[in-house]
Amino acid sequence: MSRPGFVLEVDDRTPPLVVHEGLGFRLESFPLGTRVVYPPESIPAVPDVDEAIREALLHPVDSDPLPTLLFPGMRLTIAFDDLSLPLPTMKAPDIRGRIIEHVLTMAAEAGVDDVKLIAANALHRRMTAAELKHIVGERVFRSFYPQGDLYNFDAEDRANLTHLGTTDKGEDIEISKRAAESDLLVYVNVNLVAMDGGHKSVGIGLASYKSLRHHHNAKTMVHSRSFMDHKHSAMHHSAWRMGRVIKDTVKVFQIETTLNNNVFPKPFDFLQKREWEWSVKDQATMLGVRRGLAVAPQKMRHKMFHDMRSVYGLTGVNAGEVEAVHERTLAKVHQQHLVEVQGQSDVLVMGVPYLGPYNVNSSMNPILATCMGLGYYFNSYRGQPVVRKGGAVILYHPLNEGFNQLHHPSYVDFYEEVLAESTDPAVVGEKYEQQFAQDPWYIHLYRTSHAYHGVHPFYMWYWAAHAMDHVDEVIWVGADRRAAARLGFRAATTLQDALEMASGTVGSSPSITYLHNPPHLLADVR
Amino acid sequence: MLPVSTIAARLDGQHVLLTGVTGFVGEALLHLMLAEAPGVRVTVLVRRKGSTSAEARTAALLRKPVFADIVEAAGGVEALMAARIEVLEGDLADAPELPPGLDAVVHCAGDVSFDPPVDEGFRTNVQGTRELLARVRDAGPDIHYVHISTAYVAGRRRGSIPEAPVDHDVDLEAELSWGLVQRQIVEHQSRSAFVLERERKKAERTHSRAGLLTAAAATEEARKEWVKRELVRIGSERARSLGWTDCYTFTKALGERVVEQHARDAAQPRRVSIVRPSIIESALERPHPGWIEGFKMAEPLILAYGRGELPEFPAAADTIVDIVPVDHVVAAIVAVLAHPPEAGDPAYFHVSSGDRNPLTFRMLYDNVRAYFDEHPFAAGDRGAVRLPDWRFPGASSVERLLSTSERAHQVANYVVGHAPRGDRTRDLARKLDQQGRRLEFLRRYLDLYREYAQAELRFSDANTLGLYRSLSPEDQAAFAFDTAVVDWSHYLREVHCPAVTAPVRRMDEARRKRKAATDPTLKPVSASSTGQIGAFFDMDGTLMSSNVIETYLWLRLREQTGSERWGELGRIAAKVPAMVRAERRERSAFLRAVYRQYDGARLADLDAIADEHLTDYVLSRLSPDAVRRIREHRNAGHRTVLITGAIRPLTRPLEPLFDHIEAAELAVDDRGVCTGFLASSPLVGESRAAWMRQYAAEHGIDLAASYGYADSHSDLPLLDAVGRPVAVKPDVSLFRHARRHRWTIVDWASSTSNTRTLNPAGDLR
Repeated sequence: MSRPGFVLEVDDRTPPLVVHEGLGFRLESFPLGTRVVYPPESIPAVPDVDEAIREALLHPVDSDPLPTLLFPGMRLTIAFDDLSLPLPTMKAPDIRGRIIEHVLTMAAEAGVDDVKLIAANALHRRMTAAELKHIVGERVFRSFYPQGDLYNFDAEDRANLTHLGTTDKGEDIEISKRAAESDLLVYVNVNLVAMDGGHKSVGIGLASYKSLRHHHNAKTMVHSRSFMDHKHSAMHHSAWRMGRVIKDTVKVFQIETTLNNNVFPKPFDFLQKREWEWSVKDQATMLGVRRGLAVAPQKMRHKMFHDMRSVYGLTGVNAGEVEAVHERTLAKVHQQHLVEVQGQSDVLVMGVPYLGPYNVNSSMNPILATCMGLGYYFNSYRGQPVVRKGGAVILYHPLNEGFNQLHHPSYVDFYEEVLAESTDPAVVGEKYEQQFAQDPWYIHLYRTSHAYHGVHPFYMWYWAAHAMDHVDEVIWVGADRRAAARLGFRAATTLQDALEMASGTVGSSPSITYLHNPPHLLADVR
Repeated sequence: MLPVSTIAARLDGQHVLLTGVTGFVGEALLHLMLAEAPGVRVTVLVRRKGSTSAEARTAALLRKPVFADIVEAAGGVEALMAARIEVLEGDLADAPELPPGLDAVVHCAGDVSFDPPVDEGFRTNVQGTRELLARVRDAGPDIHYVHISTAYVAGRRRGSIPEAPVDHDVDLEAELSWGLVQRQIVEHQSRSAFVLERERKKAERTHSRAGLLTAAAATEEARKEWVKRELVRIGSERARSLGWTDCYTFTKALGERVVEQHARDAAQPRRVSIVRPSIIESALERPHPGWIEGFKMAEPLILAYGRGELPEFPAAADTIVDIVPVDHVVAAIVAVLAHPPEAGDPAYFHVSSGDRNPLTFRMLYDNVRAYFDEHPFAAGDRGAVRLPDWRFPGASSVERLLSTSERAHQVANYVVGHAPRGDRTRDLARKLDQQGRRLEFLRRYLDLYREYAQAELRFSDANTLGLYRSLSPEDQAAFAFDTAVVDWSHYLREVHCPAVTAPVRRMDEARRKRKAATDPTLKPVSASSTGQIGAFFDMDGTLMSSNVIETYLWLRLREQTGSERWGELGRIAAKVPAMVRAERRERSAFLRAVYRQYDGARLADLDAIADEHLTDYVLSRLSPDAVRRIREHRNAGHRTVLITGAIRPLTRPLEPLFDHIEAAELAVDDRGVCTGFLASSPLVGESRAAWMRQYAAEHGIDLAASYGYADSHSDLPLLDAVGRPVAVKPDVSLFRHARRHRWTIVDWASSTSNTRTLNPAGDLR
C-alpha cells in the first residue's frame, strides 16, 4: 500500500534534500522549521491495462457503449493529447496508442472506414513522425500516417476550421473542421495533472487562436486560482462554457486516463524516494549521478535527462460523457497528488526541473522555466496559494539553456524584444500579442516546420501572471543573472543569499515551504 | 669691425628675405624679428598651397595666438603686413626673382624628415638651395646669406666637431644628377615583371578569395609602397656609403657645399653665414615657455614612452642627446644676421648644448620618466599606463629584442590567419594588430634614430659663444642663446613634456567623448527616403553555422547505409585538406571541388531529402539575430536578397524570408542525374558585386543606401558594393578590413541548442 503525501518539518535530523534545477539537481540544507511538502507515493496501477480499457469502452459513464456508437459509413475522428503529456514521456507503448488500438478494433468490427487521427496540439508545435509514432504505436502509425489519415492539427489552416458559434459570454468557438463534422469524436487524453482533461481537451486542444484568445490572456489567468482546480479557474470556466456549446453540435466520446507518480525510471528512482530512506545503493547512485552531471557537458546532460522514459502505472481509465468522466478522473488525480497543507507561508521554494510541457525533446529556455516555476508549480494548489499574498518565491534553475531556434523561434524574439521593454503580462499582451499572433513568418514556421505558434510565448507569460500578481519577490537560485534580470527577477547564488535578499519583503525569519516535486503534487492549502 | 651697438640698431632699416616661415623655426624667427627688431622690413617667400595664396597663408600665420601681441600693437594683421611684411609668392623648386634692395636672406626652408625619398632630399636641400642662391646673386652683389643647416651634417664622424666646413670630397654634381633621376628609375623598376610578379603573388595569396580585381588593386598599392620604400632605402644606402647617417644629413651637407661655392666665388666673394642647430625642441622662454609647432624629433619617442610602448632604447646611458630650445636657435640666427662675416669667408655657428651643458640619455630618461610618473597618460579606461624601465642594454640587444618580437609577431600572425574563426581569434587578431603597429613604430623610429642615439658627437660652439659674449647685456637678455643656462630637469619636466603631451591629452579626451557618444551596436534599419533599399545576405557562416562540405554530407549520407556512410566520410575527410587549400586560394575553385562530389546523385532525390529532412536542420541552425534582422528589413519595406554558394534545395526553407534567392544550381543530364558540375559559374567574390549591381539596376535599388551582411574575406566585394556593410562574425582578414574601414561588426550568435551532427536525418530512418 502506498503512503500518502505529507508535510515534513525540517529539524536537525533532516538530511539535505533534493532540489531539481534544470539539467541537474542539488542537495539543499533548508533552515530549521521549513515545511517540505512530499507528494503521495505511487498509488497502485490497474492489474490489466487492456482489460481496463475494454471495460471503460464497453461500460462508459453517462454514455452508450462505444460499439453502439459506431456504424458503417460514419465519420470517426480520434483526437489525442500531444507530446506535452505525460512528463516525462511514457516508455513505449504509450497508453494513448493502446486505447486507440482498442477503439480502432471496435471501429473495424463495426465496419467504419472513414477514420482520421488528429493530434490535438492546438498552437503547440507539429510533432515529428517519430514523435507521432511513439504516441500511437508502430501499427497504427504504419496504417494511417502514410495515407495522411494521422496528422497534426493545424490551427492556421483556415479552410479546415469550423466556427461553432459563441458562448453566452461572447466567446468564439472555432475548432478543427474534421472534428466538428464527424459523427463521433473520440478524444484520448492523458490526465497527468488536475488541469488537464474535461472540456479542455476538445475545446482547447483542437481550437484556433481565435478561440483560445478568450481564455489564454493575462486577465483570465490572474483570476484562475488555481488553474489546477477547474472549479476556481476562470480559464476552465471559459473552456467549460465552450465545451457545453461544442457538446450541442459534436458528439464527443471522452476517454481519460490517469497515471501514478512513477516518473523516474531506474536508476534515477532515488529521486522519488524520501531522502532519509535512501538505501546504500540509492546513495551510491545519487553520488555517481551527481559526479557525472558535474563533469558532463551540457549537451550530454541534456541527452541524459531527455532520454529518460517513465514507467508510469495506469491508475484509471474512464470513458463516456466529458464532465462525468472528468469528475472520476479528478478523483484519481487527487488521490495521487493531493497533500494537505495547513496555512500559507511567507516564502515558497520550488525547484524547476529539466522538463515542462513545451520543451519535450527541446530546451528549457528562460521563458519556459518561468512558466514552469511560476505557472505550473506555483498553481499546484487548491484553496489558496501556498505562499501568502505579498510573499516571496524562490526558484532553482540556471536559466542558461538558451533557445531552440527550431521549436521556439518566436520565444527568442519575445525575450529579446518584448521582455526587454516590459515584463508585465497585461502590458506585453496588450501591446504585442496581436503582432506575434499574426506574424506570417511565425505562422509559416508553425505550419511547415516544428515551431510553436508565434503567440505561444505570451501564453507562457500569462501562465505566470497569477504568481507575479500574488507575490512581491521572485528570486532564482543559481541562475544566470542577465537572464533573470531580463525576466524581471533577481538571481542569488545560494538559498541563504536568496532568503537574505527576500528579507526586505518577508522579514529575517520567514516561514518557508518547499514543494518537493517532481513527482507531481497538488497542495490542498487550508 | 663696426662699432658695437645693439642688434636692433644694426638691423635698423634693413630688408631681409625669410624662407620657410610656415615651418617651426621660420615662424619663431619671424616672431622674434617682428618683436625685437622693429626697424627691419621683412619679405617672406611662401609657397601657394592649393587655392590658398601666399598672401592668405601669411595672414593666417599671423593670426596664430603667438603673434597676438605683435598684431595688436600694429593694429591688425593687414596693418602689420602693410607696414613690415611683404609676401613673395613662389616655390623653392622654381625660385622667383627676389625683390630689389635686399640686405640679407635667411634660408630656413628645407625638408625636415630624416628619411625623405632620395630625389626629394636632393631637390629641396641641394637643388632648392642652389636655385635660391642664383636668385640671390641676381638680386645684388652684397647680400648676407644666412643658411640654416644642421649640426648633424658631420654625419658618422665621432668626437668634437669644429665650426668649420665639413671635410669631404664628394662630387656634388655627380651625386645631384644621380639623386634627381632616382624616382624615374625606381618607378620604372617597380613596373618590371620581377617586382610586379612578387607583389602580385603576395596580393593574390591574401586577396584571391575576394577576387582578382581586389588582388590587382592590392598589387598596385603594394607597388607604390615599394617605390616609396625603395627611394628611401637608396638614399640611406648612398649616404652611409659616403659616411653620413641618412639621406637628410647627406643632402644637407651637400647643400652647405653649394653655399660655400657661392661664398667663395673667385670673381665675386660673398657674405655667407651657416647656422647649424642640433635637435630643435620647444621654446624655453619665447614666445612662451613650451611653445612648439607640430612634432619634432624627440616627441614621438616621449609620447610612446608615456604610453608604455617604448620598452627600451638602443642608446648608451652616457650618450649625449644634443637638444636646443627653438628660441635659442632663432636668437642666434638674428644675432648672426646682425653680424655679417667678411665676404668670401663663410662663418659657421653651432647652436648646440652638448659641449658645455650635456644632456645624456640617462638624464633624459630620468626626467621624462619623472614627468610621466607625476602626470601619467590616462588614455584608456584602465588607469595610468605602466612605464617601462630602461636598462640601456646596448643597441645590439635592443635590436635582438625587436627582431625577436617581429618574428614572434609574424608567426602569431600566420597562426591567427589560419586559425578557425571565433571571438577569441578575432580578439587575438585585434591585439596582434595593435602589437604590430607598435612594432612597426618601434622599428621605424629605432632605425631612424639608431645613428643619432649612437652618435658620440660634441659640437663645439665656440663661435656662437663668442658672438653671444660680444653682445650688450640688453641684447643678451633679448636674444638669449647661451645654451649653458638651460636647466635640463626644469626644461624637460616643466616646459617640454607638458607642452608636447598637451595636444595628445586633449585628443585622448576628445576620443573618449566620441567613444561614449558612438554606439558600437548595429543601428536599427532605416526606411528609405529615396528609392528602394536592398539588404543582401550571405548564407553559410552569416545566417547559419554551416559550410558546403557539411551540407553535402547531410544530403549524401542520408541515402547510404552504415558502412557506405563510413566510406563516404573517409573519402571526404581525405579530400578536406585539398579543399581547404583551394578555399584559401579561390572560393570558386573550392565550390567546384565540393560540387564535383555530387556527381551521380539524382537531383530529385536531393530535393526530396532536403525538403523532408533538412528543412528542420537548416531552420534550427539559423541565427535568431540574423532572422530578426532580415525580418526587420522586410518590415521596413526593404528588398531582402540571399546570395549563396550553397545549392538551391538547401535554401528552400528560407524562401519566405527573402524576395530573391541567388543560389548555385547543380547541372543534370537528361536522366536527372547530377553531373558534378554547376549549371553556371558559382557566384563568389567579385561576381557577387557585379551581380548585385545588375540586380540593383533592374529593381531600382540604391546600393549606397543598401545593407550587406557577410562573414568572410571572400565576401569583401559584396560588402564593398553596398553603403552599409556589416561584418558578421568575420574571419580574421575580413575583421581587419572591417576595423580599418570602420564597418559595423556584429556577433550573431548561432543557435545555441543545435547539435552538430554530420547526418541530421540519420536517426529518423
